[in-house]
Amino acid sequence: MSGEGSSSQPNGGFRGSGSMSHVYIQHPPLRCRVPGSRGLFYDDGNKLMISPTSDQVFSWKTSTTFPEVIPESDSITEGPVLLVRYALDMKLLAIQRSNHEVQFWIKETGYTFKQRCKSESETILGFFWTDCPTCDVVFVKTSGLDFFSYDSEMKSLHLVETKKLNVSWYIYTHESRLVLLASGLQCKSFTGYQLSSVGIIRLPKFEMAMATSEDSNKPVLAAEDVQVITVYGRIYCLQVDRVAMLLHSYRFYRDAVVQQGSLPVYTSKIAASVVDNVLLVHQVDAKVVILYDLFSDSRAPISAPLPLLFRGVYSPNMSSSHSSSNYTETSEEKDAIDTEAIIYGDDWTFLVPDLICDVANGFLWKIQLDLEAISASSSEVPFVLEFLQRRKLEAKKAKELCVGIARNIILERRPLYMVTRSIDVLVTSYSYAIKTGSSLKDVKPEKPSSSGVTSVNSSNTVADESTSRGNASGKFLKHGPASEVGDDTVSNHSYSTLDSDDNSFSDRQKKNPANHVSSKVNIDTENLTKVEASNEEVHPSASQTQIIRHSNYSSNVNNSELHNSLVNSAAITSDEMYSFVFAPVEEEMAGDSFYLASVIVEFLRSSNIEKVRVHPSIYVLTIRLLAQTERFPELGLFVTNKIIEPSKEVAFQLLESGAQHCLTRKLGLDMLRQLSLHHDYVSLLLQNGYYLEALRYTRKNKVNTVRPSLFLEAAYASNDSQQLAAVLRFFSDFFPGFKNTPDHNSYCSVLAGMGSSVAA
Amino acid sequence: MGLSPANTATETLKFCIFDLRRGQHEGEELDKILFFYPADMPFSAQLSVIGLSEGLITFTRIFSPEAACEVIEAEMHSHVFYEAEPDIWMVLIVEKSKETDAIWRIDALRGILKEVHSLFMMFHGSIRALLDKEPSGGIVRKHLYSFVMDYLDDFLIGKKIQLPNFRNTLKERGTVQMLTVSREAAMEVQSLVRLLESCLGSASCHSLILFQDLLVSTTLSPDDTVNLYTYALLRLSPAFSSGSSTWSYLRKGKATSHTTGAVSMLANAGSGLDQSHGSRDSHPTGDSNHDITRPLQPNKWARGKDGFLVTDIRGSYVNNMVHTTPAIWLQQTEEKMYILAYQHKSLTVILLIPLMFIMDGEQGISMVKQQVLENASAKIFKVEEKLSKGWAGENAYHVSGYRYLLVDGDRSTSRASPPGKVTTLTKESLVAASRLREEVDLEKGRTKWDNPDLEKELEICIRAKNNAWVIARVTRGKELYMVLEKANETLLYASDAVEKFSNKYCNGAFSLE
Repeated sequence: MSGEGSSSQPNGGFRGSGSMSHVYIQHPPLRCRVPGSRGLFYDDGNKLMISPTSDQVFSWKTSTTFPEVIPESDSITEGPVLLVRYALDMKLLAIQRSNHEVQFWIKETGYTFKQRCKSESETILGFFWTDCPTCDVVFVKTSGLDFFSYDSEMKSLHLVETKKLNVSWYIYTHESRLVLLASGLQCKSFTGYQLSSVGIIRLPKFEMAMATSEDSNKPVLAAEDVQVITVYGRIYCLQVDRVAMLLHSYRFYRDAVVQQGSLPVYTSKIAASVVDNVLLVHQVDAKVVILYDLFSDSRAPISAPLPLLFRGVYSPNMSSSHSSSNYTETSEEKDAIDTEAIIYGDDWTFLVPDLICDVANGFLWKIQLDLEAISASSSEVPFVLEFLQRRKLEAKKAKELCVGIARNIILERRPLYMVTRSIDVLVTSYSYAIKTGSSLKDVKPEKPSSSGVTSVNSSNTVADESTSRGNASGKFLKHGPASEVGDDTVSNHSYSTLDSDDNSFSDRQKKNPANHVSSKVNIDTENLTKVEASNEEVHPSASQTQIIRHSNYSSNVNNSELHNSLVNSAAITSDEMYSFVFAPVEEEMAGDSFYLASVIVEFLRSSNIEKVRVHPSIYVLTIRLLAQTERFPELGLFVTNKIIEPSKEVAFQLLESGAQHCLTRKLGLDMLRQLSLHHDYVSLLLQNGYYLEALRYTRKNKVNTVRPSLFLEAAYASNDSQQLAAVLRFFSDFFPGFKNTPDHNSYCSVLAGMGSSVAA
Repeated sequence: MGLSPANTATETLKFCIFDLRRGQHEGEELDKILFFYPADMPFSAQLSVIGLSEGLITFTRIFSPEAACEVIEAEMHSHVFYEAEPDIWMVLIVEKSKETDAIWRIDALRGILKEVHSLFMMFHGSIRALLDKEPSGGIVRKHLYSFVMDYLDDFLIGKKIQLPNFRNTLKERGTVQMLTVSREAAMEVQSLVRLLESCLGSASCHSLILFQDLLVSTTLSPDDTVNLYTYALLRLSPAFSSGSSTWSYLRKGKATSHTTGAVSMLANAGSGLDQSHGSRDSHPTGDSNHDITRPLQPNKWARGKDGFLVTDIRGSYVNNMVHTTPAIWLQQTEEKMYILAYQHKSLTVILLIPLMFIMDGEQGISMVKQQVLENASAKIFKVEEKLSKGWAGENAYHVSGYRYLLVDGDRSTSRASPPGKVTTLTKESLVAASRLREEVDLEKGRTKWDNPDLEKELEICIRAKNNAWVIARVTRGKELYMVLEKANETLLYASDAVEKFSNKYCNGAFSLE
């Protein structure tokens, strides 16, 4: 999926040449078409496209690379199909046959059973599978919800619980585990339940805002006007108000539903998708899409409305080579003619979160962001970097773009304050990634196991944090101590999304970037993905492929194991800052090391604030740059104030840069001493002719790696027989066995010669 | 007071500057004299002083052409020589009186000569260059007169010039005192330095940042840093809060008059020698001082509304309140730079901008100021706040039990016990320390001649009459002087004390044993 996206450069072939877009769908699509199809269904719990025929059900996995998907099929009996969903473990298939009946198949044995409504007066609106611990499948009926658990021995459903209420229509997304039930005359009163892994959480009832039109007709809210989206681990509900032409957003907390503000809409038909936590509002009639990043409280669009484009090479050969011949009988020619015409066509259905289905043709597209185009469309560099740093789906691409941007702003000598802000963004993001990355590392090795086990580590921290935050805010629901451990182990995603506290994620991060609490939401989203991943162990899930891809990337970039925890983040490590930003820039900016030095100072400052370790090569580079411009006084301050942290590399660079500047050289020498690099220190003292000092130091620090002959040579060079005698005596006295070495003998005779010459 | 004959009679100090290349013909001897204090001394007397000095120089040059005499100790006087520029000599003659305080260290006195000359060079360029430009010497004399008199004014206590004596032995003229800052603060400071330079838009601009009277950052060479730092402390610090000049070597008794400077900058509230300038119109060497820059005239800088210091040291348009931006010469690059100073609370930022860089004079300057205010003032505030938080106060660098002076000759920096703590030492200890320093000075001088490349290590411990330990340790460019009163009597104890101090405060620089 995303692998496709990142490899396709914009020059890889625009369909509409010369047109701009920030969002595209990649050709070829997934062709979900079989002869005798009776419609297309999307099973979001398993991320499957399902097409039933009279006696079979075909399903395509949407989480893998599109054209290569080969559908699987299961046999069913003849009959109407209102809704199809596989169980989350894929062992059962459920088909709603009528308003009163759902039929179940056990895939392994082919055994079927039916579940009917108790009374004829109620109608089944739909059903879905859940991984909630108390039940397996939920029926939504006009009279309320029925929660069933599946008894695999009895091969039947067993009613666990019923919630009575009138339901006009409902929406459910597996992503959020949230079912919203609409009731009332205008269908604007909502009751919500989250079927989280901790249990069933009832949300407070709330009403959606609806402007009344001028003729005071009260509009009725339709199911297609409401959509639940998950962004940055938070759950929002979007509602189109056709009268006011606004898209209202509500955020779900554990104990409250809070209206968040509204976005303008420009056409009557609106659809929303979420790609990599970016909200895409499709203005369907205008055939444009507007992007929002709900991370911060800003409701400003990321960029101007631009059309959605097709991308990818339209060669029939290519598509046929990819497609499995059996099921894609639709002629390639027809595709080529049709697809462009039908962009935002009437047959388009927008599936949660980022899929578009062309029902008429049986095409499924995945929406993708063109990060490059988005980043190129804004001149606000820090803003662009923030945006890119938050991208996870194409983290590699985002990272490359960030590195490129960072390089360019330096090369273009943008004003320092702007570069400073940009660097702050990158460093903050990296520091944040380290903090959250550390908890991710715990989780990863256990990934293939079941979700409950996987999340133990992080969910415990989550539980602690939630409770502590709950205490602070006073709003959090406390659990009994007995249930706490068990429940919390699996509770992660429900807690994460239904925040008990009104502070938005970004607020918290801003207030206290070093705080682990702020990392909570992200951790949990990861776990959530993993829950899903483990449900389809057989097939690499979205998150898994992603992780694998990035670990490859990062090992290419740098072999250090240290940063593997950051594989799914666009964060740039300090090593990478050096090797991909500063070092290349240094080469190109040979003439203006001063500016680069200023930039690095800002980087150091920022890293220090964020407590991020700085790679010694950056210090070495700083010294080189300052020395090149002969800014030795400043270099001195950098070293004495420890802005440049002492290390062996740094000390040697000081010695090298100080070749023409004695003070700098001394700094290097002092640093060697302070680092207790005795051998190097003594050797350098000797080189400079300070053999007596070297001797004293040798004795004090018990350095015995430097050969006596070096001291003797230096003493001999001073042409002072007394001192040579002293050095000789020193070694004779303090170095056992020295008297038997050839050095001793030869220098004794040298000394004798000197003495005689003095005497003479 | 000023230059009344009565004053001359009581004056025990003589200070002259003369040029050996001038007045070599009979009858033209007066031409040699560039400056003489006291100025109203009869020319015959002046000439006899200079004649003696010249004779000594000529005589000693026979044996040591490179370095002629440094000091002559006569029965009644000490003559301190300093060849400021080739053939331009400064001689200071101090009387060895019976007064108890008249114990000097020669190098400290020579330090005064060096300092006044360096400062003069900074503002006016070299004396030789001025003489070359105007061979009659009138302008040089005018400049030197007002400059040196303004300088000496600082040493005036009551009606007498009081040169630094043994009581100042734990201070080192011509060095900079640094503020020790945390890594984080240092980064903020460096970030500010970069920001300032980017505001000024040229890499050849320089900056100097002071907190109180301690240096925080410099982009200048050590020599230029010392000069500018010295000047900042002498004349720019008035805007600091009063009495905070613990670290500075502002002359005793003068600090208070400085503190009033900010408010009364134009009131010319100067006292002492300065008043003599009022009557200078009648002085033989100067008819009008309107075109004379007097950078050392006290109380001439004040903080303007925008935070920048303004001055009228140029002396002109005083009444019109037109402030011109002064310029200085950098020793290292020989470049002439505008000097701008900005003060916020305890922080002083000095900016140097090459004259070349500002095309349209004052208008260009105010543009630069605007730039700095717009882009850097927030950062300056931040840095000030950070430094203030980390500032431990006047006695920040006091180490209990020790009275010390630490000099880094390479970097021209020094650190010493706070003056308030040094005054607790007895006279005996101080005199002993002064003598010890004299010894070290001699030894250093000798090594320098013997082997300029190799820096000597040296350690001297003296048990003074009052049983105080007076210790000097010199190691590769760094010097440590220490007075330990009430210390244990063994040498081992004294040595240990140095070792501990070195390890704790000097990164072990002095603990090679």
